[in-house]
Amino acid sequence: MESNAGATETRSNVTVSDGGEVAAFESLQFTDEIHRLISAPATDNASSFTALLELPATQVVELLHSPESVKLIVASAPNVEDFKGSFHFPSNTGLIKKDARFSVFSGEGNNKNDKSNSPEMTSKNSSANLEKAVKSEPAETASSLPLVSDPTVENRNIKRKDREKKVKGSTKKSKPATNESLEDAEKLPYVHVRARRGQATDSHSLAERARREKINARMKLLQELVPGCNKISGTALVLDEIINHVQSLQRQVEFLSMSLAAVNPRIDFNLDSSFTSESGSTMDGGNFPSLVTPLMWPDVQVNGYRQQFQHQWHFDTLKQPIWGREEVCNNYVTPENSLLSYDSSANSAATLHANQLKMEL
Amino acid sequence: MMNTPQQVKNPSSSLKSRFITRFLGALTKITAEDPILSSSPTRIFQRYRRIKVASNKSMAYSVRSRRIWSRAMLSRFRSRRSAFSGRRSSVKTTNCGEAMDVCNLLDETAHYIKCLTTQVQVMRKIVDFYHLSK
Repeated sequence: MESNAGATETRSNVTVSDGGEVAAFESLQFTDEIHRLISAPATDNASSFTALLELPATQVVELLHSPESVKLIVASAPNVEDFKGSFHFPSNTGLIKKDARFSVFSGEGNNKNDKSNSPEMTSKNSSANLEKAVKSEPAETASSLPLVSDPTVENRNIKRKDREKKVKGSTKKSKPATNESLEDAEKLPYVHVRARRGQATDSHSLAERARREKINARMKLLQELVPGCNKISGTALVLDEIINHVQSLQRQVEFLSMSLAAVNPRIDFNLDSSFTSESGSTMDGGNFPSLVTPLMWPDVQVNGYRQQFQHQWHFDTLKQPIWGREEVCNNYVTPENSLLSYDSSANSAATLHANQLKMEL
Repeated sequence: MMNTPQQVKNPSSSLKSRFITRFLGALTKITAEDPILSSSPTRIFQRYRRIKVASNKSMAYSVRSRRIWSRAMLSRFRSRRSAFSGRRSSVKTTNCGEAMDVCNLLDETAHYIKCLTTQVQVMRKIVDFYHLSK
């Protein structure tokens, strides 16, 4: 082993300069353990770790860490015993932090950052495994902390592996063994995209996810359209509600057409050119279909009321004055006025107009 | 969603105004051809059916071919000019021969609901006018 003092100095410098204590300590452990184990006969404890051992230490560390760790690699590995006592506690925090980070990642579902996180994530996972190995190795340490923390660490690691298994298992095209995937991740760091928890990341699934999101967005719009649909949860029930609403609307149309048929229309709807002359404000004259012009109602009373009709067109507010005039000219109702000026006014005036009608009634 | 067509397009040519003109034209025609002095139920029922068809047709024509449901309805009006054409089924069971995936179906449904509400609104106002001028 190399000189410890120089190594420790560089280590401490790196620790201070890094600003990330945890990361530095983690890297400490790795280089420690790696060097130690490389010198020792390799034992097949954990398959992933043995796979790691086959790799040169520098490569492993590079794979696992950010480029800052390269400095540490250059620095020689210190004696493990020097740091055992000192870094056990921080390594716990490091583990905890890592665990939290991983759970944060898996919980949040940062699918946008999948690719960017993947080497990080895989590195974190594998480093966690390494840490686990680190923890389990120095069983002879005096401090009780690692012994206490070991089961927790192991549990955490087991949980992590389970989570990974879930992540992997949920994808149909996933690899069968998480260990394998871990190894592969370490050998080929950028193959795996760490997916959102419980979701796959191949192109088919991404497209499907996008499609599902589109459908969900439209379902939300429909829920807004249909009154009383917001509280219902579940697509089937919402669709039921939508169908009911559509059917009720159709029935309403039928009912209204029945009442229109039954009511005696002593009203002359005037749709002649004076109506179209108002195209600037309300109606587009060119919009009149051929359906309308041949249907000129031969209204005898029109000419007499033409003045008033023109008068009515110049309302700014569609309100009482028109109704007043309407009472004067009894049969000359121009519902188009109110209906169309209603159109030109704010759209939210729908209920306003209906209320006015009701007031008049 | 009801506001969008009026804001996007020229407000004077909104769906509602198009529907109103068409429907009122058809309504005047129907009431003209058949004076309601004779209020026998059969006449009323005939008128009812015609008015209903006119209402649906007006809406379909106002939407023109921009929507799948309007296209389906228009083709049905043109091909089957029978009395049965009044019974309009919901979008999900219309005879849309075009391939509709869920996404488009939901779109169509939303637009259809919007048009239906417009239709109901206008017709209700017309009925109110009738009642008012009694």
